[in-house]
Parts: sequence; structure tokens; C-alpha cells
Amino acid sequence: MELWIGSVLLAFFIVCAAGLILSSLLRESHDTAIIAWFGSVCSILIMAAAAVRLAGGQDFSLDLWVLNGFGPLSLHVDALSAVFLFVAGLVYLSCCIFGSDYLLHRFGGRDSIRRYAVLHFALMASVVIILIAGDALTFLLSWEFMSIVSFFLVNYEHEQQEDANAAFIMLAMSEAGFLAVVLAFLIAGTAASGFSFAALRASAGHLSPAGAWGIFLLGLLGFGVKAGLVPVNFWLPRTYTATPPAFIPILAGVTLNLGIYGILRLNGDLIPSPGIGPGLFALILGSITALVGILYATTENDLKKMLAHSSIENAGIIIAAVGAFLVFRSSNNPVPAAIALTAALYHMVNHSVYKALLFQGAGHIEGSTGVRDMDRLGGLIRVFPTLSVVFLVGSLAIAAIPPFNGFVSEWLTLQTFLRSAVLPSPLVKIVFALCGATLALTAALAVTCFLKSYAMSFLGIRRGDWTPDYVGLARKAKLSMSLLAAACLLLGILPTYVIPALDRAAEPLAGASATAALVPPFFTATQSNQQLPAAFLQDFHNLGAQTGAGLIPGRGMVVLLRGSEQNPVVFAMSPFYAAAALLVLLALTWIIVKRLTRQRSLVLSETWAGGIPRLLPEMTYTATGFSNPVRVVFQAVFRPNIIEDTRETVAVHFRTAIRRRREEIHLVDRLFFQPIGGAVSGLAALLARMHHGRLNAYVGYVVSFLVLVLLLYRLS
Amino acid sequence: MTSPPMASNPQRYDMQTLTAAIEQRFGPAVAPSVTDSNGDVCFAVRQPDVLAALSHFLFWEARCAFGGLIVEERDQWNLRYVFRIPRSGWAHFILRLPLETRSVPSISAQVHAADWYEREAEDLFGLDFEGHPRLGDFVLHDQVWQEALTPMRKQFDAQAVDFKKRPRKDWRPALVVQDPGSFAMPVGPVYEGGAAESVHFLLETVGEDVIRALPRLFYNYRAVEKIAEGRPVSDVLLLAERFSATSAFAHSLAFCQAVERALHADVPPRASRLRVALAELERLRRHAGTIAGICHSTALSVSEAHASIIEEQLLRASCQFAGHRYLFGLNRPGGLRRDFDAQTCADLLDAVDNAAAELRKLEERLRYSSSFLDRLEDVGVVSRDSARELDLAGPVGRASGLRNDLRQTCPYSGYENYKFDAPREQEGDGYARLRILFAEAQESIKLIHQALTSMGSGEVSAEIPETWPAAALGWVEAPIGAALHWVRLDRGGLVERYRILSPSFRNWHALHVAVEDFAFQDFPIILATFGLSAAECDR
Amino acid sequence: MSFWFWYGLRKGIQTTRYPWAPENAPGITPGRPLATEFASDEEASRAAANCPVGAIHANGRRAVVDLRTCVWCERCHFGVANPLQWDTSYEWARTAAERSASAAMPAAFRKSLHVMLVDAGDCGACLHEVKRLNNPLYNMHRLGIFLTATPRAADILLVVGPVSENMRGPLLKTYEAMPEPKRVIAAGTCAITGGVFGRSFMSAGGVGAVLPVDLEIPGDPPPPLSILHGLLIAAGRRTPSAAPEFVGEEG
Repeated sequence: MELWIGSVLLAFFIVCAAGLILSSLLRESHDTAIIAWFGSVCSILIMAAAAVRLAGGQDFSLDLWVLNGFGPLSLHVDALSAVFLFVAGLVYLSCCIFGSDYLLHRFGGRDSIRRYAVLHFALMASVVIILIAGDALTFLLSWEFMSIVSFFLVNYEHEQQEDANAAFIMLAMSEAGFLAVVLAFLIAGTAASGFSFAALRASAGHLSPAGAWGIFLLGLLGFGVKAGLVPVNFWLPRTYTATPPAFIPILAGVTLNLGIYGILRLNGDLIPSPGIGPGLFALILGSITALVGILYATTENDLKKMLAHSSIENAGIIIAAVGAFLVFRSSNNPVPAAIALTAALYHMVNHSVYKALLFQGAGHIEGSTGVRDMDRLGGLIRVFPTLSVVFLVGSLAIAAIPPFNGFVSEWLTLQTFLRSAVLPSPLVKIVFALCGATLALTAALAVTCFLKSYAMSFLGIRRGDWTPDYVGLARKAKLSMSLLAAACLLLGILPTYVIPALDRAAEPLAGASATAALVPPFFTATQSNQQLPAAFLQDFHNLGAQTGAGLIPGRGMVVLLRGSEQNPVVFAMSPFYAAAALLVLLALTWIIVKRLTRQRSLVLSETWAGGIPRLLPEMTYTATGFSNPVRVVFQAVFRPNIIEDTRETVAVHFRTAIRRRREEIHLVDRLFFQPIGGAVSGLAALLARMHHGRLNAYVGYVVSFLVLVLLLYRLS
Repeated sequence: MTSPPMASNPQRYDMQTLTAAIEQRFGPAVAPSVTDSNGDVCFAVRQPDVLAALSHFLFWEARCAFGGLIVEERDQWNLRYVFRIPRSGWAHFILRLPLETRSVPSISAQVHAADWYEREAEDLFGLDFEGHPRLGDFVLHDQVWQEALTPMRKQFDAQAVDFKKRPRKDWRPALVVQDPGSFAMPVGPVYEGGAAESVHFLLETVGEDVIRALPRLFYNYRAVEKIAEGRPVSDVLLLAERFSATSAFAHSLAFCQAVERALHADVPPRASRLRVALAELERLRRHAGTIAGICHSTALSVSEAHASIIEEQLLRASCQFAGHRYLFGLNRPGGLRRDFDAQTCADLLDAVDNAAAELRKLEERLRYSSSFLDRLEDVGVVSRDSARELDLAGPVGRASGLRNDLRQTCPYSGYENYKFDAPREQEGDGYARLRILFAEAQESIKLIHQALTSMGSGEVSAEIPETWPAAALGWVEAPIGAALHWVRLDRGGLVERYRILSPSFRNWHALHVAVEDFAFQDFPIILATFGLSAAECDR
Repeated sequence: MSFWFWYGLRKGIQTTRYPWAPENAPGITPGRPLATEFASDEEASRAAANCPVGAIHANGRRAVVDLRTCVWCERCHFGVANPLQWDTSYEWARTAAERSASAAMPAAFRKSLHVMLVDAGDCGACLHEVKRLNNPLYNMHRLGIFLTATPRAADILLVVGPVSENMRGPLLKTYEAMPEPKRVIAAGTCAITGGVFGRSFMSAGGVGAVLPVDLEIPGDPPPPLSILHGLLIAAGRRTPSAAPEFVGEEG
């Protein structure tokens, strides 16, 4: 098994290198094909390696060469890496196909596709190395490489000044985060014999509490830059908007996960947190991030920016679940910890899949119409029928509507908060309750946000005057998006198969298995045993858990949370059965309607609009109008500045124009970076007074500094 | 929208001092004239450019009310601006221009209440009002009719039914709000399942509040003024009664009074008293209906049921008294068409007293329904300044503090002999309008009692022996507000020009002030508190 | 708020028993003119001359009334030398002459009828009388008749007014937006023949000029029970009355 994984990974590197070399050597016109084919093969290889590990294989380790003074560079594939590898592979598979199609349409015969292809393969390789790194040095080197290559890819269309600025901000924040992470590893390494992950893990107990806290905070915020946590995520909306549509699904679906992987690896695996403090911190930070993210997403009209804010929201949910995991683990509740971690990983998987799908859709819309503003879109369902369907699947998934995947991970996440009853301290329970309420609010706002984005972009009549360059999806784009949409559906209706796979990653970290707690073996357990008492089986049988026992292999199709002796089953759900029931009802309805309306004819006429001659686009609801209630209710968060509120009149009484414009500064900018930036500028201005250009004073500085050093030397 | 600054000496004018002041300020440009208005004071405006300053002086300094604009096409254009001098009656300012003139200075900047009159004149007569920024697309909607139709001109044949309408395909509404994300929500003309009259609104909004309301009326335009031309008085009386049947008696009374003034006919005292009783009965019934409409809009079903039962009882009482539920067919020039015996009058008084008691009970109960009052208080506020600027008519104007009840300021049909109040409020919100409706209903009941008790015997109608070319203004305080009818008779006793200045026309103009800056959900409630009639505005 | 609930209960049931029992309360209808025998031909002609819209025709000694043209000005009723006889009925609705098919909807609509009311230039009286059907004294809801807010859910198009030209477009759009089966009812003399407004450049002279009318309800305005009677005919629960006084139908 081990060897199998190793050889598949080796094959991956070979193919990736081949792709890189070929794309730089061959002619331009072949590059998109190379990206598509070689990239797909690479992705499938990654997924295969991860699947083998998750299906019950052993960890794979490999020591590479040894660097003097730093220790061996090694690779290590364990279950946690495998989960992230699988997701990365899935997203890459779809994005290679989509990206090549997009580049083909967009850039045609320009020379920059070669640069894109080379960077693309380089990034893929560095992402895989990050995920399979076995020691700190490999990890950090590949991380830095990934940051820089990402910067080049984001800056790909660097003609626009604002795009260049956004990429630069991303690079600066990545480097700042990287510095924090390096510091964290250095602190961890003070107590350890080497920098390999095994060594760090072994010596984690020797760290002082202050050190452990320092590692936690540096790791959380340092990796949080990539993941998108408040307050270090202010680069995310700007950069995502500036990123070319071919690359952004990868940025949102793969790179964001790297931040989460880093947090899980450093704070969850290597250096466990001291006490429940860090976990609570992560929980609260995650909840706030989620709420801030979705608030700005709901009131945002730019499709890409809205999806960027939504990524922040999802990252917040994941980190909140990770925080819950840390709290449960530190207070010796391994099973709830495992459930929390499984929920976090599930949400990470789901987010990658549906966010990549939505970004591909948004990229397609932008490429064809040139418009990203929802206020000016509308009526796309007639222009892109297939895109409408897959975008709807993505919107339903991200809004957590069954039977799609978002529902399962949101359900699991909210359920873990309800598990806080096992915790000892009432204060902690209150925090859990508040964070649970915040996440519930977030989920509700997410429904509003994506209802708005789908309805305003696709339905209704066209509000702006744009014409689409091409109508309908190309075959490749259909393939890539359908793949992700199918994944959304499968991940949603087959949670009982996904949870055991994710549990392989959760169990070593949490110390207990979540599978038995969430997906008991109903189909196979015919009578009660220690784990499945009779009352429990009875209750569960009444829920119809054993429906389909003869047909469906595996553990059953219901996910549940167990309670006590008196209340064996507390919460249960089955998207599979829900989907099946939905299909049956739809089929039945269709049959009945067909029978009843056999003799009727269907007439399609225009929308009823009160009898006016024609319904004009300016008479239909805009995205701003739809989200206005949210803007008004949460005004304290948005604090808009009224730039203009004028009324122009003619002949004293006749108003010719009422102009209103508002400007909103993002909450994080307002609370963190404007004060900090202001303070830094102030300080710099103060210090700049030293640089007035008088040579005598500069000589004086040198002399006084020399005197100071001599004095210090004398005194010590 | 601020009013032009007050004069340095806010002097109170009556007819003499006003004439003197006009002579002093406007000298030879405006001179008193003795023409055909049968008892009203007339001035001839000799120079069009003085019109704006004159109207500013009259409206703001002399505190006159604006009655309306009457345009006649005779051998010259006659533009007749009617003003009401406080405590003195009507004054007509007549501008005569040769028929080739195409443009007239606009007075809408000075007297904003004149806005719609000028738009109507432009659409129907083709006169351009210089300085008015929003002409066109008023009576004949641009989206449906071609330009320059001018149906009120003499050469246009009202029976020309087979011309083709040429709709404009590229029409776009004149939207004013420039806020990213604003849109204009269309309401009507067929809305609320037809339970509302046909009116179209474009409510510009960003989602919550109505920033600006753009109304479009005249869906019920039946060109009454045009088809009245050349018909005998008895036929035009039918038109006067039925263009807005919910105020049928009031409008027929105004028309009959116009004809009576034109032909110097006297009305017997018994007829005057019966006219007062019938007019107040109609006012009472219409106010009960408006109250029911307000309760309907706030969805307080039981109070709506109660109010509509009161209204139905009044309709039945009207039918028993006068033979028609809406009091059709009662007025004629010179008096009434039929008489009423003592028993019928006593039955009517009983029914009216019943209604008074029920209305009192209803008002008491509504006063304590806080959820109901929440929807009305401070909603749809029309400030006193706005009300004056737009010269609001009727109970709506009185709810904002205006003194505009013609029964007291320009009494007719013997109203000067009755004791009654014209209640006024100051807040100008929906609740103030509701209180005015209840108070006026009680006053109407008092008036009916005064009119029908100790009514002398006698004729109810005087014959009008002969007819000659004459013109006169008749006015009435209709339930919605001040209604003016102007009639010009020709040699054969046929109507040459018939002009209706209806109160709904005035108040629909002002509705947007009440609706703007309030939430969408308040729009139907504010509309209900105004109690307007589209048919009365559109004619 | 509980006050209003008890208050309503205390008021009791005041609804009319029509159509299960005849309604005779005073004032529910102005009644209508009847064909009247006079002493001589000349008196009949003088009676006919009283009518400003020419709705009365003298047939020898008999003066007959065309209810489709009568505007209820009552100049043949009060204050005139040769008054016609009037009754106190209200069941006046009849099928429009041009329609051969029944004015009634299919049987499924007997107890549930949704009505789209359109004001096509109405003076306000007919519209008001239709709205009176919602008050507790008449209460058409107990008969399963409702006013809808949108034509998409409507079975009957109830039009009042002579169809002003500005409303012609919206009225047609409303009709086209209604699904089959549907019927058109013209309520009021204006809607049947144009009333006092007749036919002009701004008035189509009745709904029949714009849409195919199934049922006509004369009256100016038709009282609420008359409109209710018409709606019951459309629902198939009443048959249209024979109306021998209509011109052209009597011997």
C-alpha cells in the first residue's frame, strides 16, 4: 500500500514536470490542451493517491536529502493530508478543464498562455508538496514558493493598475503571514530536537504555556491570512476581484484550504493547545468572521466580490468548527471533538467544490458579457441555459439547501454546538450558544445572499445594455461545471460514505472515532450490542433507518447524533431519503398533472404588470433593492458615509434629479487597518522629521550613536 | 421646497384694497374689467409677462387661493385665472391672446398649484407654457397617443373615432432618482384587483422607502368637457352629475348654480334648504365610505365592516328619501326636480341620527386601537407649508391647517344662515385626516337637521323663462373639496364651453408629497386617507 | 385587540338571506321603469320625449323602455306629467344578445368564482356598488365569490365604465392574461352602451366594442344585489331573467 501511494505520487510529479516542460517548449496553441490533458491526469493521480490512503491504507513516509544544520527534508502522507489532497485533486480536475477553455476563448493568440501554463503546473506541484511535507523546512519552502507563484498568477493580467495593487496587497499579506508561521515553527522548535513533524509532535509537551499560546496565535493568524480570517483577510475581496477568472476557482478552492490545513496541522496535530482558551478564541474568531463575511456578501452587488466575501464566511464556519474541536479535545471529550473536526473537514470539502463551481460560473458570465454587477445583469437564464442549472445547484449547495452538500456540513456544524452540554463550565456553554446563534444567523443570511445573486443575475429581464459574446456554454465548460455539480449532489446525498473517510483524518487528532457516533452500522447490526443498545435500535428503526437494507450496501443512509438512555436518538437526518422522497413526489406530481391536463393547451404570454404597455427594465427589482433590508437592519456594522444627497430643482418646485450616493468602508478596515495605518503614517511622519537633509545633524546622529554604544559597552 | 419669502407687510386684503394694490403695482398691465362673469370681479391682463408677478402677489402676499385655469378658444384665446380673495369671493384674471399665439408664460414656479392646469391645457389645447419644465405626457399618454392631438380645439371633432393611435415604442419614464440600484416600481393601472380606480404610479425606490412617486392619471378620461360642447343644458346636467357619481349631487349643484348665476335665476328658499340637506347627506355618506376605506387599508376588518354598514344604511336611506342611492336626477337649474313630504324627511332624520350614533361609537373605539393608530399617526404627513404651496382642497387641506371650506369662505345656497364648524387640524398626518372626516360627518348631521326642520312650504323649483349668451362660475364644497364649474351658454341656450375644476385634480397632484419618504407598505394607507376619486380628476 | 373580536360578535349576523330568500329591505334598489299603458298615443309619445337618452319608445299607447340605454335619471319618474310605472326589482341581468353560448361557467365554478374587476373609465358609482358586495350586509364571500388581485387567477372579468381610450390597452391586456374558461360581464349602462358618454374619440361606447361580452347588467349604477344576481348567473346558479320590456323582444 505504502509503495502504491509513493509510486502514484512519483507519477504525478513526473507528469507535472512533463506538463511544465512541454508547455514551455511547444508552440502556444498547444498550451491549453496541455493544461487540460496533463492537468487532468495530474489531478486524477493526486485523487488516486489520496483515495488509497483514505480507503484504509497506511501513512506514507519518505526521507529526501538532508540539509546541513536543518535536518532531513521528508515527505509524509497521513489521513489529514490525504483529505486535503483529494479535495485539491477534485477541484484541480475541474479547473484544468475550465481554465483551458476559458483561456482559449479569452486570449486566443496572445503569448501569455505559455506563462500561465508554466505557472499553473508549478503551483500544482507546490500545493502537493505543502500537503505531503513531513517536516517544517519542506513545508515552509514550498509554502513560500506557492505564495510567490500565486502572486504571479493573480497578477497575470497586470495591465490594470488596481489589479496590480490588489496582487501586491496579497503578496504583502502572504509574506506577513508567512513570517508569523515561521516564527511559530521556530518557537516550536526550541523545545524539539529537530524540525521534522514527528520531532515537533513529540516535544510538544515541553513547551511553556506562553510558548504554546504564542504558537497558537501566530499559527492561527499567520495561516488565517490564507484562510481568510478576520482581521487578516482584508486582502481577500480585493484580490479575488482582480484575479483572472481562469485562476480564481483554484485560488478559492485550493489555496484557501491550505490555510486551513496549516491551522489543523500546526495547532491541531503538532502542538496541541493548552487548555480551552485557544479553542474558544478560534471559535469566537471563526463566528465573527462568518458573520462579517456574509453581511458584506449579502449587500454586495459585484458577483466576484460577493463570492469572495462568501469564502470568508465559509472559512469562518470551518475555523469555528475547528475551535469547537479544540475545546472538546482539551476538555477530554474525544467523541464530540471528532464530530466537530469531521464537520470542519466536511465543510472544507463542500466549500471547495461549490465555491469553485460558483467562481467558474461567475467567470463565465464575466468573460461573455463583461458585466459583474448584479444590478445590470438579469435574464441570463435565456442566454446560458446549462449554466443556469449548474449555477443553481451551486447556489442551493452554498445556501445549505438539502439534498445538496452544504446542508450536511451546516447541519453537522450546528449540531456540534449543541453538544456543548458536555462541557463543564457554564461560561463556555454560553459562548458556544452565542456562537451557535451567530452561525445560524449566518446560514439564514447566506440563503438571502444566494437567492439574491441567482435571481438577480439569471431571472427577470435584462437590466443593463450588454450583449453576450458567446451564448451557451462550450462543451468543456459544461463538463467541468457538471463535474462539480455532480460532486455537490453526491456529497450531499451520500454523507454516510463520506463521513467514515473523513473520520480517518479526524480520529488520530481527536482521539476517538466519529463514525460510530454519527453513522452506526444499522444495516449490519441485527441485534443490540454494547454500542447499539436495544432502545436505540428500536427508536432508529422507527425512523426508517433500515429502509433499503437489502439494496444499499454500507452502514445505512441516516446521519444522527445520539443522546442518552432515555432519549436514544436526539437528531437524525438523511438527505438520501429526502432526495428519494423528493424524486418520487416530483414524479407523482408530474404524472398527475399530465393526466389532469391532457386536454389543456398551454399558452405562454407576457408577465402581468398591471396593464401597462410594456414592462421596462427600470421597473424591475434590483439587487440593491433586494438586499436593502439587510443593509438597513445592520446599519451599525456598515456605517455608510453619505457622499451625496442632493435634490436639484428647476423653477423652484420641479425636481429634476435626486442624487444619493453612499460609500461604505469595510468593518475590518475601519476598526483595524485605518487606525493602524494612521498610526504608522503618523509615526513615520514623526520620524521623517529626522531626515531634513542637514549634513551636520547626520554627523551628529552618528557621533551620538557611537557614544551611546561605547557607554553601553562600558556599563555592561 | 421653500415658499417665496413673505412680503414685508403681510397685509390682509379684501376686494377694494386688492383692486387698489393691483392698480398700484401692475398699473396699466392689469385693469379691472366689466365682462361676462355675472357677479365676480374680473381683471383684464393686458401683458402676458406680468402674469407671473401678478400670480405671485395674489397667491403669496394677498393670500388668495387658486381656483384654477379656464382656457377658452373663441375668436381669441381666453385664459382665465380664477382666484379666491379671502372674505370677498372670486376674482377672474383674464388674459386674451390672438389665436396664433403658441406660448404663454407659466406661473407654476410662483403658484405651484397651477402646475397640472398648465399641463392639461398644453395637452388638450396645444398651448406651450414657457418655463414649465414638464409639459407633455399628461392627459394623452405619450406611450399610447401621438403628439399634437389637441382634442379640445374647435376643429377637432369629438366623434372622430376612426383615427389611428400611433404609440411610441421608445418611450421611457422620466425618472429622477440617481441612486445606484434604484428602480421604479410600477403600480397599476389595474391593481388591487380593480377594487381601486385606474391610476398608475411609478414609485422610485431603493427598496424600502418611496423616494419619489410619479403618478399618471387620466385613464378614466372621457372628455366630458369636449362632448358637452353644443349640447343643451339638460343633457350637460346629466354629464355634470355622472362624471364623478360619488359626488353626483355636489357637482350637479355646482353646475346648476353656474347656470342660475348666468341666467340670473333665483332659487326658492325651500329648494335651497333641501339642496343643503341633500348635499350634506351626500357628504356624510361619502365620509363614511372613506372611513371604511381607511379601515380597509389598515386591515382592521371589524371596524371596516362597521363603517361599511353605516355607509350602506346611508345609501339605503338616500334611496328611500330621493329615489336613487347616489342622489341622481334631483337638481335642475332653478331648484329641484321633485319635492319631499314631511314623513320622508322625518324618516331621513331618523336614519341620519342612527348613523351619527354609530359613527360616534366607531370613532370612540378607533381612538383606542393603538395598532390602528400606529399605521396612521405621523404617516403621510403633509406640512402646512406644503399644503399652502399646493393649495390643497377639502378635508385633506383642512387636516394640514388650511382654511378652505367654501361653505364658510364663499357661502352658497344659504349656507351663511346655518351654524356649523369646519373643523381644522394641524398635524397633516393620516390620523388628522381621519379625525376631520369624523368631525365633518357630525357637522353634516347637524346641518341636515337645521335644513329640514322648520322648512317653509313653497315651490321647489323656479322656471327659467329665457336664455341668453352668458357665462358664470358655480361653486360647491364637494365632499372631497372645492369644486368649480364654469359654463358659457350661447344664444340658443346650448352650452358653448363647460369647464370643471375638480378637487381631486388638485389633491392627486399633492399626493406625492404625502407618499414620499415613507415605506412602501404605507402607500395604500396614505392613498386611503386622501379619499380621492380618479374619475373626478380625469373627467 | 380582543375588543374588536367581541364587538364583531355582539353585532351579530346582519347579512341578507338573498339568494335563498327574496330581499325586500327598503333602499336596496332604485327599482326600474316598466312598460306602461297610457290613455292615448300622444301621452305615450310625450312620456317617451321625457327621456334625454332616448331609452323610452312609444309603441302605440304603450311606452316601453330599453334598459340597456336607460341611465336612471328618473326624469320619467318624478316631477313629470306622464310618469312611467316603476317597480322595486333588482334582478336585471341578461345574456348579451350576440352570444349564443351560455353565459354560465362550467359546473366546477358553481360554488367558487373569482372575479377580476376592472375600472375602464367608470364614474365611480358602479365600482362602488361592486365593492359594496364585500360589506357584511351583502357578503358575497359566503357564496364563494371573491375579487382577485390578478387576472391570472380570475374566472370572470367584470368591467365597469364605457371603456375610455386610455383604458382600452390595459383592459385588453387583462382579458388576455386571464386563462380559459373565462366570461366577461359588463355591469352598468355605461359598460353596455356607453351611457351618457356614448361613443366618442375617448369613449368606446361600451365593453362590447372592445371585448366579447357574455352577460350584461343594466343599471346606473346597478345596485349590489343586481350585480350579485349577475354573478350568480355566471356561476350557473341562476338563469337570466326574461325581460319583455327590452326593445325588440316584445310582440
